Amino acid sequence: MTTLATPPHGPEVTPPEAPAGETPASDARRRPARVGRWVLFLVMVLIAIVMLYPFWVMIVTSLKSEAQFLSGGGFSWLSWKNLTATIPVGQEVLSSTIVCTASILIILAVGLPAGFAFAKLRFRASTVVFLIIVSAMMVPLQAILMPEFVNVTRLGLTGGYLGAIVVYAALGTPFSVFLFATYFRGVPDELIEAGIVDGLGYFGALWRLVVPIAIPAIATVTVLQFIQIWDDLLVGLLFIQNTSERPITVGLAVLAAGRTTSIPELMAGSLVSALPAMVVYLVFQRYLVKGLTMGIDR
Amino acid sequence: MAGFLFALPAIALVVGFIGVPIGQAVYYSFTEWNGLTSTWIGASAWTQAFHNSNLWTALQNNALLLLAVPFALGLPLLIAMLLHQRVVGWKIFRSIYFLPTAISWVVLGLVAERFFAYHGTLNSLIHAVGLSHVSTNMLGYESTALTALGITFVFTMIGTNTMLFLTGLATLDPSLEEAARIDGAGRWRIFRSITLPHLSRFIQLAFVMTVIALFSALFSLIFVMTGGGPGYATTTMEFLIYQTGFDQGAFGTAALYGIILFVLTAIVGVVQLRLIGSEE
Amino acid sequence: MADIDFDGVTKVYGDAHPAVDHLSLHIDDGEFMVLVGPSGCGKTTALRMLAGLEEISSGTLRIGGTVVNNTLPKDRDVAMVFQNYALYPHMSVAQNMGFALKIRGESKREIARKVDDAARILRLTEYLDRRPKALSGGQRQRVAMGRAIVRSPQAFLMDEPLSNLDAKLRVEMRSEIARIQRLLSVATVYVTHDQVEAMTMGDRVAVLRDGQLQQVATPQDIYDRPANEFVAGFMGSPPMNLVPCRLRPGHSRVEVLVADQSFEIPLGYADSHALPEAGADVVLGVRPEDVLIADATGANVLKVRVERVEALGSEALVHLAWGEGGAPVARDARPGSFIAKVGPRVTFSPGDVVSVQVSPEHVHFFDAGSGVSLRAGGR
Repeated sequence: MTTLATPPHGPEVTPPEAPAGETPASDARRRPARVGRWVLFLVMVLIAIVMLYPFWVMIVTSLKSEAQFLSGGGFSWLSWKNLTATIPVGQEVLSSTIVCTASILIILAVGLPAGFAFAKLRFRASTVVFLIIVSAMMVPLQAILMPEFVNVTRLGLTGGYLGAIVVYAALGTPFSVFLFATYFRGVPDELIEAGIVDGLGYFGALWRLVVPIAIPAIATVTVLQFIQIWDDLLVGLLFIQNTSERPITVGLAVLAAGRTTSIPELMAGSLVSALPAMVVYLVFQRYLVKGLTMGIDR
Repeated sequence: MAGFLFALPAIALVVGFIGVPIGQAVYYSFTEWNGLTSTWIGASAWTQAFHNSNLWTALQNNALLLLAVPFALGLPLLIAMLLHQRVVGWKIFRSIYFLPTAISWVVLGLVAERFFAYHGTLNSLIHAVGLSHVSTNMLGYESTALTALGITFVFTMIGTNTMLFLTGLATLDPSLEEAARIDGAGRWRIFRSITLPHLSRFIQLAFVMTVIALFSALFSLIFVMTGGGPGYATTTMEFLIYQTGFDQGAFGTAALYGIILFVLTAIVGVVQLRLIGSEE
Repeated sequence: MADIDFDGVTKVYGDAHPAVDHLSLHIDDGEFMVLVGPSGCGKTTALRMLAGLEEISSGTLRIGGTVVNNTLPKDRDVAMVFQNYALYPHMSVAQNMGFALKIRGESKREIARKVDDAARILRLTEYLDRRPKALSGGQRQRVAMGRAIVRSPQAFLMDEPLSNLDAKLRVEMRSEIARIQRLLSVATVYVTHDQVEAMTMGDRVAVLRDGQLQQVATPQDIYDRPANEFVAGFMGSPPMNLVPCRLRPGHSRVEVLVADQSFEIPLGYADSHALPEAGADVVLGVRPEDVLIADATGANVLKVRVERVEALGSEALVHLAWGEGGAPVARDARPGSFIAKVGPRVTFSPGDVVSVQVSPEHVHFFDAGSGVSLRAGGR
């Protein structure tokens, strides 16, 4: 790697201690640098091919019929034509959308005031409570899967979307509280105080000052949660009992695990399922990066 | 007081759906439980569980998968360093490298299955380099399935970790590097003495996130790639919990396994908390 | 519009030393009161209690005769200008200025009229549609002012509003704020650590230290008759020279012994101070501009050595040091450093031994223990 790593700014810079008489030597040093750039570029192309491999597999495979897939060659739209018959894509995308939207709305609705409270309206033991909530980020659902499943079932929430929505909301809340609290700490106290002197109550300050300022943080939480929930399998699999209300990721996984569905059609379905999250990702890339490194980069 | 009221909904949600179940899991780990009725059997539930070889297999699988962590950190570090050189088109490369991050691990698992399958890409590659008599079926054999899973895991983590490291590199003050260069440091020296120490917090964070993912995010991959098999070759703790609870109906034992997983992640979580704590 | 009355107001955080300790201060309607002191002296805390952003631990705070100890900020009808301006980043200048009126429920037309009026006073009319981000520091400062004045509040509270501006702009805004305050004649409490602002802007100045009020008076009074050593040292730049000395009262004059030298003050001047008995330790205070450097070797002079000369263009600061009997002091020793402010064209250089005189009508004496001024009549 080090041979490839050309300094980012001006490889022409001669080391100050290099004697003036050694021009050939510095020329020789420069040539590998240029070659290095080319090698570097090639390596990056190679990595790009590896990273694009999943898309290539999905596209190429989905453009074959079952028979063509087994024999290896050929091209056909058949899998795409049959897609909706095998996988209820429309219904499943709708389910995914409903679950995602509702969960994210709850996460924002509880996360924003809580983040505001922990950052600006300290109350007794607020630091401890904050740490407890933040550490809940680390609890994997699998660790509490059994009681969670039984509780949500007993509450009668597994019939429709509600069970999954509540579980997603609960799992997403700690992160959003952490992120909002971190973000709001960067908002000057004076801004809130100015609002209070101007006649706002705490709720008014939250709704009319803090939320408008927090748009980037809200975008970050929304994008991260959208991708997370859209792509998740476990919650949708267990907490939505009605198979006709399955989100698309669950639908795909169940068909795939069954090993009876035509693979080209599965790949077509995969592409459909991947598309929304990819679009969201490409449009809001910078919010994603910001959220991942919240509180650590400065 | 207003502060408490503002935080209350979040507290309620987290306590109700994360805190309470932890307590319940502890309680039910001492019972025989089918989801409806539970019978207290006490500590013998735990001794029985530890005599179950499946638990040890799963723990062993998790431990073996930890071997993937250096790759899941090292490759992204390398890629981030490459991107940081900012060659022509590096922004496009960056977007491409991050793109798989958006895709569900269910889908990536499906693709990985295609890659490792008998008629899959891996064998095509092997044949292409002239070893036409060699054919693999990594997911089909107990000896290789876990390796295939580990490789897939590394691939799925590349985007996120590269993103982290690249952000870390972007916060590195270029004048530090320039100062080191004036001081006569070579590239390797600069990487070791300037870049790496600067990245240490990002590497720590990536490490914690990677290990947590390893313990709790493989479910989708396993579910579509192997179903935990062949045998129990790819059954990790989280998958064992799912199987024990929902395939065998042994809710109590599954809850007990959950507690073990909880403790394992809590250890990593403490590291993470200290990391966050050092920021406050 | 109203007057403001602090009556024994105290703020204690936890069980620590009080941040504001029994502050009693009256600000007349329309008066410009400057609270000044070093950082941590309690001036900002006092202001925040007045705004209602801090609770009052004890004492009574009145605005316009009404006790406001437990009144919410929004019901106090005071406007505040913050150090970092605290402009709402997502609102235009006009929205920022009209926000309080909007909350109060005034009609759109009324708001627009008031915002326009304020913008005219502040010369902000052409920026009304901009976001704060697109403004310069001075413009932001004016928006913060505008946000306060559109409300026609009972009082203006300003917390170091100029400290984020560069030096030139600060001078400009100093007179601008004073002008607007006089124009609107609303009671104003202005917090600063900058003694130049304190001297130039306020009708009266209140000096605080460690939560305690040191002196309240007009700027000139504070300068001419500081109540204690702290005020004397804080106000004025360079600060007043403070030198420990001993007094020996005579028939018609008082002899002041500094180190092993002395000079005399006519009793007429000395009488303005309640001087202690002979031999007592006191602190002599002389403002740098009251130190005269004379070449004369006559009586009533102190022999000192020139350490350093700082030429400031319009004047020069001469750092002086004295040793035993005017003998040059050791190079690195820093005994009784003393500054004289003189005309710009000085003829001496470091190392010279010169004679200085202090104008007897401008000397101050402070109690060596408590630091309180010995001036007859106290504060």
